[in-house]
Amino acid sequence: MAAAAGFDFRRWRLVLLGGLLVGIVLFAAIFAPWVAPYSPFDLDVTQMLQGPSAAHWLGTDELGRDVLSRAIYAARISMQVALLAVSVGLVGGTLIGMTAAYFGGLVEQALMRAMDLLFSFPAILLAVVLMASLGTSVLNAMIAIGIVFIPGFSRLARASTQAVLRQQYIEAARSIGMSDARIIFREILPNIMAPLMVEAAVAFAYAVLLESALSFLGLGAQPPDPSWGNMLSTGRGFMAQAPWLSIVPGMAMFICVLGFNLLGDGLRDVTDPHMRE
Amino acid sequence: MDIRSRALENGRPTLSVRDLTVDFPKRSGSFRAVDGVSLDVWPGEIVGVIGESGSGKTMTALSTLRMLPKRAVVSGSIELGQRRILDLSPAEMRKLRGDRLSFIPQDAMRALNPTMRIGRQVGEPLVLHRNLSFKAAVSRAVDLLRAVHVREPERRVEDYPHGFSGGMQQRAMIAMGLALEPELIIADEPTTALDVTVQAQVLKLLKEIRDREKTSILFITHDLGVVSELCDWVYVMYRGKVVEQGSVERIFTEPREDYTKMLLASTPTLFPREAS
Ligand SMILES: Nc1ncnc2c1ncn2[C@@H]1O[C@H](COP(=O)(O)OP(=O)(O)OP(=O)(O)O)[C@@H](O)[C@H]1O
Ligand SMILES: [Mg+2]
Repeated sequence: MAAAAGFDFRRWRLVLLGGLLVGIVLFAAIFAPWVAPYSPFDLDVTQMLQGPSAAHWLGTDELGRDVLSRAIYAARISMQVALLAVSVGLVGGTLIGMTAAYFGGLVEQALMRAMDLLFSFPAILLAVVLMASLGTSVLNAMIAIGIVFIPGFSRLARASTQAVLRQQYIEAARSIGMSDARIIFREILPNIMAPLMVEAAVAFAYAVLLESALSFLGLGAQPPDPSWGNMLSTGRGFMAQAPWLSIVPGMAMFICVLGFNLLGDGLRDVTDPHMRE
Repeated sequence: MDIRSRALENGRPTLSVRDLTVDFPKRSGSFRAVDGVSLDVWPGEIVGVIGESGSGKTMTALSTLRMLPKRAVVSGSIELGQRRILDLSPAEMRKLRGDRLSFIPQDAMRALNPTMRIGRQVGEPLVLHRNLSFKAAVSRAVDLLRAVHVREPERRVEDYPHGFSGGMQQRAMIAMGLALEPELIIADEPTTALDVTVQAQVLKLLKEIRDREKTSILFITHDLGVVSELCDWVYVMYRGKVVEQGSVERIFTEPREDYTKMLLASTPTLFPREAS
């Protein structure tokens, strides 16, 4: 079928472009110790606030640390936070949404009311409140952002599950004596993965932004650990003398967020059944 | 009355439905989709249920599987072997489905899970009811597919449903239904979605299964031609009731009820003599 017809570049170009950008960021994050030219923590007071040069491609910060290296290590933190946060949202939201749709009735009403309540809080406010009660740390930031994602994933999972439940193969599964739990995990889950993955890619971009925002506010990664958010926060104080302190983490965020958004959009187009054939 | 030869040979019917009613509550009163239906399927017998759209055929079949919509209210009795279906717990009922009792739906294409390989799906009843491993179930699926004349079953078990033609998908559904040698197969218009030649092959297959396994089959259709070709005994349903029953020969040669006569007359090409 499709494979035999050859690779349709046009259909996949957004996925490829997004995947490339995401790939660069992920590569930098995973291999930071090998990719980064310097340690992100090494101070060099003789090299404070130097502009881009052969030794420091993207300049140095107010303590003489290599900005490129810090931006690369920051990708690590961002990816970790986003990965855990999206996982929390994806797993929690999918379980809640599938359960609500499958059992219906009071179970569904109770679960979705709770989700509405959670959803009605502004995301950043919810994260700040959660951090205030859990304490500020990167781990808590991840959990807070993850909880913010649960309502969105649960709504999507519920709607997708409802659509799958109308399919005859669910009736067929019941007719051979399959249990509810098995129907949910074996029959329904694989059939709602595509929209969930699209949402996950978009959520990833949002998680990166949220983590940066929290770090910018001093609620995420704590100095001296580098994060795009706290680098921006520092850079703000040197906007005139050293604009690269703001531009570099800004660009890194931009590439990362753009990459995940393109990937999400592309996956949506590729997996949307209406666009097949 | 007609004589059901198989009833004389064998002591007990496989399926015995008595005074079955299915009601759907409505804002005022309720709608009776099945109205006092009684029917029997004897061992090794293929019994047809025929009637126009909305006459309650599917609701009768779903009652037997206990798979009616949640809001439906059922009364009467249904016995499969010695089991009183309507009195079983949900867990007991689940053990029966796919094991002693199989269901073959109208549209095989949509009854197969698009994300699961054919072998896995055909073997699933063995995993559910016989605790077979994934591998063992798939290797049994190869035999089952061969038994329903799917060619190169070793290779085909690896396919996803969209790689199967309509006729092959229906064969796969039948193979799944046969996996545990059920006492009764309920087929709800299993050939409606297929073209005429493929339809004939599937009917032949069902007959073959009956002859080989002595399985009882309850066959729902609104196609008189199919009934005449396949069934031993026929129930004619109209507005939730059984209006007439009899052997296929008798129903086709000397229908008694006006509704049956009308049904026969509406398909004149099949039986030109009766129609004229
Ligand atoms: N969920 C439901 N709620 C209310 N009424 C229903 C429901 N499902 C079916 N019915 C009604 O029950 C009646 C019998 O339906 P059934 O599906 O058994 O007919 P059928 O004989 O199988 O028809 P067809 O040949 O079209 O499949 C129909 O009038 C239908 O409108
Ligand atoms: Mg029907």
